[in-house]
Amino acid sequence: MSHNRMYVWSKFMALTLVISMLMTACGTKEEPSAQDGGASDKPAAGKPSTWIADRKIKGLVFMGSDVTEGMNPEIAAKLKEMTGIELELQAVGHDGSQKALAAGLAAGDLPDFIAYYLNHSGRPEMEMINKAAREEMFHDLAPLLKNTTIYKKYTEEGYLPLDTQYGVMFRPEFNGSAYVAHLNVAREGGYEVRKYVSGPYIRKDIADALGVDPRTITTSEQLYELAKKIKAGNFKDKNGKEVYPIGPTVWGGIDRSGLYNDLVWTGFNGEGFGRGKDGKILHESQTDYGMKRVEFVQKLLKEKLMHPEYYSMEENRAKEGVLSDSFAIVGDMHNYVMENKDNRYIPIGPLNTVDGPYRMTSTFKGGYGAWSIPTTTQHPEDIVKLADFLASREGKLLWKYGLEGRDYDLDAKGNPVPKKEVLDLLEKDPVKAKELGFAGVGNDWGWYLGGTDLNDLADFGEASYGESVNKDMNKGPLDIAEYWHYDEKKKQIDLRDGYAPLAFIGEFTKGSMLTMALDKYKESLIRAYYAKGMMEAKSIMDAAAAQLKTAGLEDYIKLLEQKDQDPKTKLIF
Amino acid sequence: MDKNTSVMESSLDGYASARHRSRLGKRMLSHYQLYLLLLPCIVFFIIFSYIPMAGLVLAFKEYQFNKGIFGSPWIGLTYFEMFFQDPQSLKIIRNTLVISGMKVFFAMPFPIILALMFNEVRHSKLRNVFQGIVYLPHFFSWVIVVGMMQRILAPDTGLVNQIIQWFGGDGSTFFLMEESAFHPMMFWSYIWKDIGWNSIIYYAAIVGINPALYEAAKIDGANKWRQMWHITLPGIRATIIVLFILSLGNILSAGFDQIYLLKTPGNMNVSEILDTYIIYMGLESGQFGFGTAIGMMQGIVGLFLVLTVNKVAKKWFQSSLW
Repeated sequence: MSHNRMYVWSKFMALTLVISMLMTACGTKEEPSAQDGGASDKPAAGKPSTWIADRKIKGLVFMGSDVTEGMNPEIAAKLKEMTGIELELQAVGHDGSQKALAAGLAAGDLPDFIAYYLNHSGRPEMEMINKAAREEMFHDLAPLLKNTTIYKKYTEEGYLPLDTQYGVMFRPEFNGSAYVAHLNVAREGGYEVRKYVSGPYIRKDIADALGVDPRTITTSEQLYELAKKIKAGNFKDKNGKEVYPIGPTVWGGIDRSGLYNDLVWTGFNGEGFGRGKDGKILHESQTDYGMKRVEFVQKLLKEKLMHPEYYSMEENRAKEGVLSDSFAIVGDMHNYVMENKDNRYIPIGPLNTVDGPYRMTSTFKGGYGAWSIPTTTQHPEDIVKLADFLASREGKLLWKYGLEGRDYDLDAKGNPVPKKEVLDLLEKDPVKAKELGFAGVGNDWGWYLGGTDLNDLADFGEASYGESVNKDMNKGPLDIAEYWHYDEKKKQIDLRDGYAPLAFIGEFTKGSMLTMALDKYKESLIRAYYAKGMMEAKSIMDAAAAQLKTAGLEDYIKLLEQKDQDPKTKLIF
Repeated sequence: MDKNTSVMESSLDGYASARHRSRLGKRMLSHYQLYLLLLPCIVFFIIFSYIPMAGLVLAFKEYQFNKGIFGSPWIGLTYFEMFFQDPQSLKIIRNTLVISGMKVFFAMPFPIILALMFNEVRHSKLRNVFQGIVYLPHFFSWVIVVGMMQRILAPDTGLVNQIIQWFGGDGSTFFLMEESAFHPMMFWSYIWKDIGWNSIIYYAAIVGINPALYEAAKIDGANKWRQMWHITLPGIRATIIVLFILSLGNILSAGFDQIYLLKTPGNMNVSEILDTYIIYMGLESGQFGFGTAIGMMQGIVGLFLVLTVNKVAKKWFQSSLW
């Protein structure tokens, strides 16, 4: 190549590079696909009764690492065949779903629907969603829900729990409009699939060696005495090293109340608000329970009865410790955790609460997760129809059990019976099994729109996937539940319906300051646990209480008292 | 000077300036390939640095999702008032200044000393090995570095506590929960991670010093210390000043990653800084305007300091950014 030609080529290449960079920088964004509608909007003749429309729907799920984006092609084809919908899910944020939701709303570049965490109207996401709703970011779902089969129940009196009805969905400020559809609402109150036994657990062999029935440990003082006995017993872990009497929770360093329940003014959801004996609402900072707990933890730490990293250990190290039997007592876990499949650890207590002896409590109906439809979506009615289909038995059969013939067969009563090979694969290779693409094997794609009106026992003849075939599927957890007398405790359950104390933080003028001060209070407690002595701890806790006062705690409590007077905004403590 | 002379001079000035512009235009045209290569860089800065600057207006607006940044209503200085009304604000500013001050002022000599040490290693292969070793930590993320620190400083099982035990101590100190341990941990981990990387520019400046100066100093009988004091350090003075001025621009940003990861309830009194506060209040609570206002404050203080110190450096040391 001559010098001249090279010169020309080099100039041409440089120009191409510049132009392509400019083009990339100035690229336009893709339009949401549900707006492609057009000619194929109306179902053609001969389509199934479940048919919605021939279109693609994109959903953005702000639930971090819990989301499985990919769909199994055969399941996707079946959904398309039944409804005409091609569903595409995307997940945003790994551990910062809330931040991602804030950024997503601010950017305004949202697909056909969004789904996010929302267990009650006090959750931080709710404030953002309400702001977005006020600023006309979402379609009103109320008129659309009226034309549905399952979601229509949401408009029936008494179906929704109080908070979902007046706090999450049909907020008085919206005058009958609804911009959020709450998920995970049970068909009947008090419904629970699993028999969870949460709290501290002790190594069974150690409890046996000490001749202790862990169920008789009902106070923090008894727990302290037990820890001292463990220390004196010089028990070893799988590596021959001495065990820590009390190790962190199986999920790592978290301050959970189970270990010292009788010293925590916990309130509903651990928000720290409760009613005193005189009936007045108080926050823990206004009681002496904080200092009582500090004294107890300092005693445990000083006498080396508690792991020094109890409040800060990373999850992987905590799990490793549990697997190696390094902790005689695990601060908190439950009977379904994989690390205790062989029931080496058994539950302690439960410990009494500040109100007196332990009693099982639960909400009338829970909610966990929600979805909304941005106003940029041209056919919101199709999203609602899809959600309604996925919430129906037919829809749930698809996303919970997979494909008939491939993943399950129907028994004489019409209930699904999972195939043995699927259950075997789930046991042997859960990752491979998940590729089959339905909730039973771990892919919850249908839950983000259809995970509501829950009652699997009524719908499918079994409370959870595979139980009817493999009776031993949950043997370990159920054995623990039996040991703990779960059913007896359930009979005495205190079922409550109402609002979490922090549900009104969004309408409180100093809301963000108070939220920060409440977080600081919890951090201050941990700081006080590690203080040099009780004097230092007292000054730390006094400062945290003063900060709460400055942030308007007393005014907020007045607001809570006021809300509690209204039957529609009754509080739960 | 009479009126005619003045008119003539001004017309001459105009002519000269027009000629200069025409020459500049011609020069640009004749070297258009170079300007073309510069173009992507200019476009990059316009798109990613200058256009986003318009978003600073958010600091004075109540952001509404449906109206966007420019359509949202003005609220004046509300966010700034909110920040200074927060009883935490003074503590947060103090913590930020202490941490960034330590990084800007106390950490500055370390890479210079390291560069001077590299300059004294005559064997080039050996020097390369040393340089490689000290550059390496810069490429680790703070997540890894803080993870290592957690292991080394862990109570009972950590290396430091094991050594303390070996010497007869208790060995149960939980350094990460100790308020008094926070600043040393922050400072020395910062030095360890970035000393090598920060020394590169100083070393490059040292290499650029004319060797004849050293020869002349040797002939005059100057020993190594004298040469370092009278030739090397004055030779890199301009570089030191420029880097110092640039680092002042970040005086209100104490380095988010490191502090966020080292922050524990035990040291929160000294580890809460503006960057972590912005993340909490601005992003996690969705208060973008508030976050922007604090970020803007950081930038303005940094700009003010850079301009002031640049002027002072120009006057006193005849060395500056521009």
